[in-house]
Amino acid sequence: MTEQVENVKEQIREFVQEAAQRKGVTGVTDEQSLVESGVIDSLGIFRLVAFLEENFRVRIGDEEIVGENFESIVSIERFVMKKLSR
Amino acid sequence: MAYVLQQLLSASAKRYPEKSAVCARGKALTYGELEQQSNQLAQLLQARGLRKGDRVGLYFPKSVESLVAMFGVLKAGGVYVPLDPQAPAERIGYIVDNCQVKVLITTGDRLHALDPAMMRLVEFAILVSAAGNGSFERAMPWGAMAEYPSTAPDEESITTDLAYILYTSGSTGRPKGVMLTHQNALTFVQWCADTFKVTSEDNLSNHAPLHFDLSVFDVYNSVEAGATLHLVTEDMTLFPASLANFIRTRQISIWYSVPSALVLLLLHGNLRAEDLPRLRIVLFAGEVFAMKYLRQLAELLPQVELYNLYGPTETNVCTYHKVDRDRLQGMTTLPIGRACGNTEVFAVGENDEIVTAGSGKEGELYVRGPGVTPGYWADVEKTNKACLRNRFQKHFEEKMYRTGDIVTLSEDGEYCYVGRRDSMVKSRGYRIELGEIEAALLSHPGVREAAALAIPDEEVGARLRAVVALHNLGTLSTKELQQHCATRIPKYMIPEEIELRDSLPKTSTVKLDRVQLAAAQPQPA
Repeated sequence: MTEQVENVKEQIREFVQEAAQRKGVTGVTDEQSLVESGVIDSLGIFRLVAFLEENFRVRIGDEEIVGENFESIVSIERFVMKKLSR
Repeated sequence: MAYVLQQLLSASAKRYPEKSAVCARGKALTYGELEQQSNQLAQLLQARGLRKGDRVGLYFPKSVESLVAMFGVLKAGGVYVPLDPQAPAERIGYIVDNCQVKVLITTGDRLHALDPAMMRLVEFAILVSAAGNGSFERAMPWGAMAEYPSTAPDEESITTDLAYILYTSGSTGRPKGVMLTHQNALTFVQWCADTFKVTSEDNLSNHAPLHFDLSVFDVYNSVEAGATLHLVTEDMTLFPASLANFIRTRQISIWYSVPSALVLLLLHGNLRAEDLPRLRIVLFAGEVFAMKYLRQLAELLPQVELYNLYGPTETNVCTYHKVDRDRLQGMTTLPIGRACGNTEVFAVGENDEIVTAGSGKEGELYVRGPGVTPGYWADVEKTNKACLRNRFQKHFEEKMYRTGDIVTLSEDGEYCYVGRRDSMVKSRGYRIELGEIEAALLSHPGVREAAALAIPDEEVGARLRAVVALHNLGTLSTKELQQHCATRIPKYMIPEEIELRDSLPKTSTVKLDRVQLAAAQPQPA
């Protein structure tokens, strides 16, 4: 189970860091606020959602696209794990 | 009748002292509190040496303090300069230096990140939040104003004095400061008050950042009417579901934003008319609204009046078009409409002739009237290029502003936007000079040539790409260039993709062949 969690976090981290790079932001930590650092913008959030849906085969409803689920890499991982364990 | 903006607040504070003026992040200020605190800030600023016309930078995330700061500076006779709280420090430093900001109202971490060399003329800073201000000695906490009297200083500003400066993207590489007077703002505010009939029962949202002129309506028309302003903070703009919830729970009655925000709400916000009984007016401006999305929005919210507002920062809004749902079906583009009250517009076509209604001719749109900017801060050359002597005025000397927008004029007197005269583009409503992106890329020593391109996009207006020729191919990556850009220009201006080559195509006159570059770009599906 821990291995799967780490794998999920790793994949999310990779995607987020790549998105960050496109905005010229480096060294994004797992706990850092993606909103405050400007890594996610109003377009990026939907690219991220599409990635999560395709990569982890989950369905994300519009009402779930809220701050608390996408605050940081750790938040996103927690959100995805909850969906995977259903 | 108010002749300076701060009188709008004083009047409403007299009439509605207990009413909620503004709320954000769980905090709210009544009109009485907003009046009192802005008076205290004004007293502090004057006591500390702020003189009439001095510039005060506002550089912190949106909060109720933002309004205290705006009114406080105006009451002290100063000129406020709203700064993008998310812009790179280098760009902010440039602006602070460019208009000789004397006082900076900011956060500790932002103050710390600014280059001291650009801060030479800043006399002191006021911190809305403390953390980490080690590098600047002359900083005082926001609470320091509590020591000062809560009566307003004597009013010495007049209507033609500057109220604020808004910096916009500049084609030659650096942002330029659009000067706006009290009269400029009040001309617009008056027209809005007459047209939208804002009352003290209204709840206005403020979606736009405070350095964008859409916010001028939100703040000053809300205050003018004694209504309540609900600030949409930066984080909320990213999550359509949260935003829709906000509109519902705050019972927003008037919403104003760029079309991109409305499209996001439409596609992902699960908007339902029955949830929004108080919403009566939706205004949008800043970019072209794709007809297919506008039709969906109009159908989804049948009880709401929809208005397309048009105008560059230099004139705030100068034309408007009220959406007629019956005509929407057959329309390919939404008109920008006709001139607002107390503003005149006209299009100048070939042979220097004014375009007449229904002629089918195209012309560049010009604006005259009290809503028009006196020009760009400390840039006589740019000012003279855009604010021209009105050669069509036979009776006295006056200026007219050339918008750079090409338009046509329909039979029934409505203007329609056709395109730009130059290389300014809109992406999500943000005004972007491709030249500024190119300058940022060129500032990297490894870059020999750079061309920025806007790929048309139905959802956001334009997506940004760049083609760059390096001195030595292989020495720089796209990633590194994007990082470099992030130190100079705001994130929304960074090209999403950068193609690296060893040279760029040239025309026969040795200029960059933009046509060829554009043609070679992959088009949207």
